[in-house]
Amino acid sequence: MSLLEVENLHTHFITRDLGNRIRVATALNGVSFAVGEGEVVGIVGETGAGKSLTAMSVIGLLPPAAKVVAGTARFAGDDLLAMSPATLNRLRGDQITLIVQSPKTSLDPLKRIGDQLVRIQKAHRAVSDDEARRNAVEMLATVGIPDPEQRARAWPHELSGGMAQRVLIAMALVNGPRLLIADEPTTGLDVTVQAQILDLLMELVQARRLAAMIITHDLGIVAHYCHRMAVMFAGRIVEQGKVADIFKRPAHPYTKALIASTPKQIAARGYAKVGGLPPNLYALPSGCHYRDRCPEAEAACTTEPPLVTVRDGQRALCHVVARGTRVQ
Amino acid sequence: MTLRQFLLRRVLLVIPILFGITFITFMLVRVGDRDPVAMLAGPLADRQTLATLRTEMGLDRSFWEQFAIYVGKLIQLDFGKSWESNNPVIVDIANRLPASLELLLIAMLIGAAVGIPVGLRSAQRPNGAFDQAARFVSLLGFSVPTYWFALMGIFIFFFKLGWAPPPMGRIGLDAIPPPDVTGSYFIDSLLVADWSAVHSSGTRLVLPVLIFSVIVAAPIIKHTRAIALEVLSSDYIRYARASGLSPFTVRRIALRNAFTPVLTFVASELTGLLAAVSLLEFIFAWGGMGQWGLNAILNSDFAAVQGYVLTLALFSAVIYVMVDIAVLMLEPRSALKA
Amino acid sequence: MTAVATTEATRPRIGSRLLGVIRRSPTFAVGFTIVGSFAVLAILAPLIAPFGAIEAYPFEVLRSPDGKYLFGSDGNGMDVFSRVIYGAQYAFGIAVPAAILMLLIGVPFGLYAGYVGGLTDEILLRIMDVVRSFPSIVLALAVVAATGQSVVNVVLVIGLLDSPIFARIVRSEVLALRSSPFVEAAVAAGNPTWRILFVHLLPNAIRGATALIAVRMAWAVRISATLAFIGVGIQPPTPEWGAMIRQGAEYIISGEWWVATFPGLALVGVVLGFNLLGDGLQDLLDPKRRTAAR
Repeated sequence: MSLLEVENLHTHFITRDLGNRIRVATALNGVSFAVGEGEVVGIVGETGAGKSLTAMSVIGLLPPAAKVVAGTARFAGDDLLAMSPATLNRLRGDQITLIVQSPKTSLDPLKRIGDQLVRIQKAHRAVSDDEARRNAVEMLATVGIPDPEQRARAWPHELSGGMAQRVLIAMALVNGPRLLIADEPTTGLDVTVQAQILDLLMELVQARRLAAMIITHDLGIVAHYCHRMAVMFAGRIVEQGKVADIFKRPAHPYTKALIASTPKQIAARGYAKVGGLPPNLYALPSGCHYRDRCPEAEAACTTEPPLVTVRDGQRALCHVVARGTRVQ
Repeated sequence: MTLRQFLLRRVLLVIPILFGITFITFMLVRVGDRDPVAMLAGPLADRQTLATLRTEMGLDRSFWEQFAIYVGKLIQLDFGKSWESNNPVIVDIANRLPASLELLLIAMLIGAAVGIPVGLRSAQRPNGAFDQAARFVSLLGFSVPTYWFALMGIFIFFFKLGWAPPPMGRIGLDAIPPPDVTGSYFIDSLLVADWSAVHSSGTRLVLPVLIFSVIVAAPIIKHTRAIALEVLSSDYIRYARASGLSPFTVRRIALRNAFTPVLTFVASELTGLLAAVSLLEFIFAWGGMGQWGLNAILNSDFAAVQGYVLTLALFSAVIYVMVDIAVLMLEPRSALKA
Repeated sequence: MTAVATTEATRPRIGSRLLGVIRRSPTFAVGFTIVGSFAVLAILAPLIAPFGAIEAYPFEVLRSPDGKYLFGSDGNGMDVFSRVIYGAQYAFGIAVPAAILMLLIGVPFGLYAGYVGGLTDEILLRIMDVVRSFPSIVLALAVVAATGQSVVNVVLVIGLLDSPIFARIVRSEVLALRSSPFVEAAVAAGNPTWRILFVHLLPNAIRGATALIAVRMAWAVRISATLAFIGVGIQPPTPEWGAMIRQGAEYIISGEWWVATFPGLALVGVVLGFNLLGDGLQDLLDPKRRTAAR
């Protein structure tokens, strides 16, 4: 059994327009994936594909308009979506921790970072002030902050973006979590800092044998750091499997297009088109959501696409792929 | 930057504002169609008297000369003399300011004590029933003219119910005003334990203070709500939730972060309210600086008008500097690097 | 039920849209209704009012409300009801031109200051500082008292005092828009500055000021009444609500409450109406507030 098993997750945005009519954006349409112990899973896709929303649905931090309408998310066997808010809150920041993309604005501006590290420990377990403070300083040292004793007394506004992200990593690790969710952890940072932060993060994840979910639109990050990956499009996972397999032999047309559009591939083969706008979530096309942009689309694509196992653990949601292999 | 440098800088920033206000008030009394000399001398004065007066008052000099002289006097805290009372303006103001502040500050305390919790509660469930009601009440408070509200209060509580004492002054004729310490009759009579004066001045405070608190609370509710909404939708509150901090802790973080902006807002309201309180004083014959200032405007008592306007400006400048100091101490972000 | 559905379907789009707006923001709907009703009163005043605005019956002073004088009569023997209705003309007659004046002065100033920056911007900011740090009621009072008591002066003062508020909001919108692609494209296409300001920036920048117009009109109605109440500005026996409240103030402690009460209620009504309208507009125009379904 995997540590996190998400099954058939549906999340909708229910809003009202100017004319007070209810509009429903079907943002997640049956997302299923799993993260095993010590496994690093990358979730990729374009903006609006539902990557972050998947994570937020799982940890119960949706914006007011969004609602999980169906599905389960088992964490160590317990369904997170069926838990009482208080129970789920005890897991957050302790067993499941989050690293966000806006580290500077995510730290409480009116508390020194050391105190924030102490606060998150005391929120989840009985530790003495002294011990919590020792842990905090030790954690700051672990994430590569020089002079941690001194830096524990810094205010959030005094940190650079990279430093703030290190602090968030410290916050995410200080309680010894089992699952780490990193939501675009380096998007707001300088390119040179990005690599440092990711190296640090993944080193720590590996050393602690943590399970991790990395949400990104950067295929390079996935190729470099993840064991398995899931490609999302319009609220569905269209393909998932081992990173090496998918990069070597992508099955789904969207995955192919994504991989063909990485700088390295473009350099090698010239421009390939991923092209087109994200589909309208208020009125998704029937059948395969990708069909309007798919170069290989055919008549059958207007019906629900089947989930096809391409090879060991690699599965794609596609009619075209199904014709080439056996249907699961 | 040290604290002293910061304060100095802040005070220096106030000077152009004060200068602007001074210039406007100086202009005001000169663009009017009324000739102060003619008004002062009366309709029967002959040309010779008028000319002498004009020279005496320095009105025969050029505009800029007059302005320079005026500013020079202001710097020495010489605001001129009121033609109505024949007192130096600064003496009149000093005598009357405490009565205004008494009304203003008590009403502000009540207004904030009610308005801030209501605004916070509103923000917890935007567009919920409580929020809708609070917003409506706040808008009503914005829309009711102070003076009319006061008149209605007097009609109901004085004329109909007989609960309030007559709306004529700060203390009844049956009580002797206490010796002047703070300038508030109520506090001063408490200090000397003159119970009949305490009762007389205390009961006379109730109605104007309550009426004014409603006026004060309206904008406080509105802005506290807006500030709280912004804080609640911030990244750090979202992250605090993601960190599994207890709802109680999350609320405390939100409150702590909303505190400074709310404080800044409430303080910045004070000057406007010190002006608005004049209408209330007018109706309750309160005898404070506001009533005095209104009368000065109505009677073209130029020196007094200028004094009144400048006092308000100075008051607002002092508040701004005080707010800055408070923010400086409360907010690590602003720590001496503004 | 079917019949209703059919009429619904054939009704023009704008009707259903209006219905939606009302349901989405009751605040707006209520404010709109109040302001609209008073506007109708103002226009139709001569038809609705049973008496003239300054028609006095010296033998019928201070009559309490009855069948003949719905809101009673005042100290001059004038019908309070008729005067309250005519008062609506003054409320709109001041608020509307004052609002136009605010926009005419404030918007171009804000556009220019935001787009060009430099000295203009600096001056604008300083003026803003002075106006903001100072209670406008006192400035208005002092100016009107000094320049003389006429409706035109009241309108001018209110319009002038409020124009920096619009200048500031337009300025900040322009600052945000200044380097957006559509402006850069317009510059690159060789448009003159005035064209960029008024054709390209204005329609986008004015949006933020829309809700504010209603709120500032509420303020204009309020402050003009306050001026009249204090005794500067519009003078009795002009049927202006503030002036009427002033007339009624002396009768409050002798029990003739109606003289001050009814014009005050009308004043509260119009000001509240404009404020609700402004609040509702903000609701409707702010896309962030529009999303959450409740």
